[in-house]
Amino acid sequence: MADSRTRKVRDIFDSMESGPTSSGRPAAQAWLQSHSGSLGLFIDGSSVCPSDRQTASALDSSGESVCSALCAVDEDVSACVSSSAGGFKAWAALSCHRRAQVLRRLAAAVQKHSQCVSEVCDLFQPPSSPAALVRLVQYHAGWAQLRDLSIPDWSPRGVVAVVVSDDASVYCMWLKVLPALAMGNSVVLVSGPQMAPPSLLLAELCAEAGLPAGALNVLSGSDVSLAGKVVASTGISFLTYCGNKQDGEALCRQTAGWCVPVALSTSPGSVCPVIIFESADIDSALDSVMEAAFKKNREYQWVLYVQESVLDGAIARLKVRMAGMKAVPLLCEADRALVDEAVQEAHRQGATLIQPCPPAPSGALYPPTVLSGVAPSCQAVVSPAPGPILPLMSFRGSGEGITLANHSPFVQAASVWTEDLTLSLESVKSLCAGTVWLNSLAVMDPSLSLSGLKEVGNCTDGGREGLYQFLRPSASPPLRCFRPSQVDYATFGAPSPMVAFVPGGSDSSSPARVYQHLVGGRQSKAESGCSKAVRSAGGALLAHCPDGGPKDVRNAVEAAIKVQPSWARSPSARVQSLYSLAGSLEKKSRELAASVQTQTGVSLEEAEQEVELSVSRLCEWAARCDKERGGVQSLPQSGSSYSTAEPIGVVGVVLPDSKPLLSLVSLLGAAVAMGNAAIMMPSEKNPLPALEFIQVLLAADLPGGVVSIITGARDQLTKALANHSVIQAIWYWGSKEGCQFLQSSSPLRRLWLHPEEQENGERWTRPDASLLEEMWRQAVVWKSLWIPTA
Amino acid sequence: MSARNPGTELDLEWVSRVRVNTQAVLKRAQQVQGRKVVKKQWQAAWLLRAVTCIDLTTLAGDDTPSNVHRLCMKALQPVRHDLLKSMDMHEKGITTAAVCVYPSRVADAVKSMKVANSSLPVASVATGFPAGQTHLKTRLEEVRLAVADGATEIDIVINRTLALTGQWQALYDEIRQFREACGDAHMKTILAVGELASFTNVYKASLVSMMAGSDFIKTSTGKESVNATYPVAIVMVRAIRDYYLQTGHKVGFKPAGGIRTAQESLVWLALMKQELGDEWLRPQLFRLGASSLLADIERQIYHYVTGRYAAYHELPMA
Repeated sequence: MADSRTRKVRDIFDSMESGPTSSGRPAAQAWLQSHSGSLGLFIDGSSVCPSDRQTASALDSSGESVCSALCAVDEDVSACVSSSAGGFKAWAALSCHRRAQVLRRLAAAVQKHSQCVSEVCDLFQPPSSPAALVRLVQYHAGWAQLRDLSIPDWSPRGVVAVVVSDDASVYCMWLKVLPALAMGNSVVLVSGPQMAPPSLLLAELCAEAGLPAGALNVLSGSDVSLAGKVVASTGISFLTYCGNKQDGEALCRQTAGWCVPVALSTSPGSVCPVIIFESADIDSALDSVMEAAFKKNREYQWVLYVQESVLDGAIARLKVRMAGMKAVPLLCEADRALVDEAVQEAHRQGATLIQPCPPAPSGALYPPTVLSGVAPSCQAVVSPAPGPILPLMSFRGSGEGITLANHSPFVQAASVWTEDLTLSLESVKSLCAGTVWLNSLAVMDPSLSLSGLKEVGNCTDGGREGLYQFLRPSASPPLRCFRPSQVDYATFGAPSPMVAFVPGGSDSSSPARVYQHLVGGRQSKAESGCSKAVRSAGGALLAHCPDGGPKDVRNAVEAAIKVQPSWARSPSARVQSLYSLAGSLEKKSRELAASVQTQTGVSLEEAEQEVELSVSRLCEWAARCDKERGGVQSLPQSGSSYSTAEPIGVVGVVLPDSKPLLSLVSLLGAAVAMGNAAIMMPSEKNPLPALEFIQVLLAADLPGGVVSIITGARDQLTKALANHSVIQAIWYWGSKEGCQFLQSSSPLRRLWLHPEEQENGERWTRPDASLLEEMWRQAVVWKSLWIPTA
Repeated sequence: MSARNPGTELDLEWVSRVRVNTQAVLKRAQQVQGRKVVKKQWQAAWLLRAVTCIDLTTLAGDDTPSNVHRLCMKALQPVRHDLLKSMDMHEKGITTAAVCVYPSRVADAVKSMKVANSSLPVASVATGFPAGQTHLKTRLEEVRLAVADGATEIDIVINRTLALTGQWQALYDEIRQFREACGDAHMKTILAVGELASFTNVYKASLVSMMAGSDFIKTSTGKESVNATYPVAIVMVRAIRDYYLQTGHKVGFKPAGGIRTAQESLVWLALMKQELGDEWLRPQLFRLGASSLLADIERQIYHYVTGRYAAYHELPMA
């Protein structure tokens, strides 16, 4: 490009080339210079730059160092966390109106400095337009204003750690920080060197807008392991992360055992299938996907699926449109080897390459490339390489197209192209993705949530739904931190040697009843063939129950996935089933009350109360089945958009010791009312009411397999749940070692963990709406649907 | 001009398959407009290229031999000689692509060209321009008379009644007859997109016009309320690409009506470059129908050369 500046008008007139497009970034440079090229930390309302810290370089897209960022040490972490605790007090004490005012001023500040914001974002990361960021701030300023009116009975969590890896986008970072602030939390923002400049800029903008000191602090380090130190400083109530999957999982393991809930969004690198049906406006579809796939910073890894009947036309158009395209810069030189390898592998496995020109032998430029007819097993499809690569596959009918698209653990969003309304809505229903765009792609708005499914994360950002990760029901106690204990993950939950129950044991005097558990709609013994003794609070032998294990869990899952799709389909049928369950419980209320009394030793009156409350709880869930479905969102763009609550699939629940019947019924109701299948593990200590409840289930009109009840040793069953990948959500009441085990073994599952030290059983009997709301919100995932119209 | 489009049989099955998603097209148009346009010498070069693609047009009730003559002279020397010379472009033979007038002024224009010893094409609108609401017989006769007067390019208007009522066969037959009447003169078919109700109709009308042998398809007469917009252009160039992929024939594109600024002409060129490639950046396959555009381009070029903004009287008028 050196001689491009001397090109003559004459020559350009003939060649009609486009000139250089990039211009300098004066505003960003000026901002960096105001920090003399080395960025510090942001603690307690001001930039601090301790001199004796190591630094790490932030590189721009061409690999040159733009500035250096400080690496925080323990001292900084503790200063930051204590400042955040103070910041939380000051910030939470303000009225909703005052907080909203600060956020509105922040929106104005972003607008005022939009050039600088845009250039700083542009310098490092997937560009985020200042207009989108302003909209995001304004949207959350609205929620800040409405918090107490619209979301009563919920309180901020406290100090929230937002951790971003270097490949996250600025938009995603703001989508964590802004709702956290809007709900009244204070935020510790932890970033690597690459994200340090945009993080610091956000903090400075917030300070300019009048955010109280300490409400937003920024720490940067050489990598995200710094977040482990932040959690270990025991002032954090919640940790949320956005970035790549590896760092997220590592972070989860690192912070397991502190009993700080962790939410991950691992959208960078996730896959987005684009499905083009024969009834589509194919030109528009291809234009959109080329626009999205052949640029330097891609939000997603796009994979194209085209119906066979229009495949030839689509390929011919791609060839014509791509003919004049220029090579695209890769994010860094190192990506080149990955790209080369992916393309070669695809080629070896039978893919045809469509490229405007062959790639230069080396360097960080690569031409847009379509891998046509690539094998589904190919690495380029399963976990696509960075760079302007677009795998393309064909399918025969609509069903096959959806199946192919769903067949990846990394799908976050999907785009469907057809002019056929019925087909499009059917596709939307069957796609397993947090976001579905109809006849459009890559549009975003803060009012619609971005949900992670499968391996793309376990939380929902954006929209009203995204606010709840930063809130707790006011009725539930704030979290306490624990120090992690030594948990041997390899031996956790290993079957204990046969001490449980041997024939001819001591208590042969009173013949105890032998119970069976419920797997896949049928009563059965444990696969292991072993039983466990059930004892009363006083230690008397009450009964024998099956000692379930991994095989029982497997059988329950097999049955659950067969029945769950049809269970999810009809809310009105669920209403009837749950009412019949409530009726069946009412009929057997005497037996149940007796079992509660025998098991826990409470008075009969109290036991009867628990049964009565359980009946009404089931009726509440029955009534709710066809109510919580999401809604229509209003957007700045024209068109319609919806967010819908969908069942997760199969939920595994390890139940608490307290209120054995009421807790079972509350959680079971929440899970199945929302359309999930539930595998319930009754308390190891108090299983009797649950075993008795099996008769209630069998007498009710519930499809077999929707609910399984498996008894046995808690740790062993917990491990069995963790080891079955179909189970996407695990709700756990138990030891803190168990919590630690689950967090480190299944970081991307939807975990709802409760160390028993923290629970007093009040949750089950309190009538607070927010406690029930928390349960059903745990039982659903959100799908956003975009239908733009002219 | 390049090889002409011979046309094909009318393929109604192809026409019926057409699907256009309006919002996706609008979004695409926003992207095209949102891109940064070329700067500095690239801008100057592109603007000169735009000049060579202009069909310099006067279509007014008060056209007389004298203003048609001035128009022809401007077409032959569209940019001041000294400006061209300073860019070393004075030997490139820069003229507009053609002049475009009403049928009754064709003879005047041809005479002016002859006087100036130039072979610059004279284009004539025809077939009941702009509404097309006259009898087929007179519309055909109009084409023949314009050709007889020396017009080498004919801009016909389609019968919107036929397009709106879905009578594609009848439309095809009419355009076929116009094409015959044109003889060797190149035929540009005006779709009058502002009166076609939907993008799907625009796409279908584009296909039918090309099947019937149009050498160019053109957006508007300049007399409708909606003229050459980017979304409608995207629909039409996609039809051109579709036709090219199916038949191998290249058909040109002419946006007309409402194009007034140099900036817009750059966006039009960028759109063509992206959608159809560099080949569609030459007057053989791309025209800009305009009258006041040239003055703005010349002022921009003046600014590029001198760094100053010209007063209107500093540049020769058309």
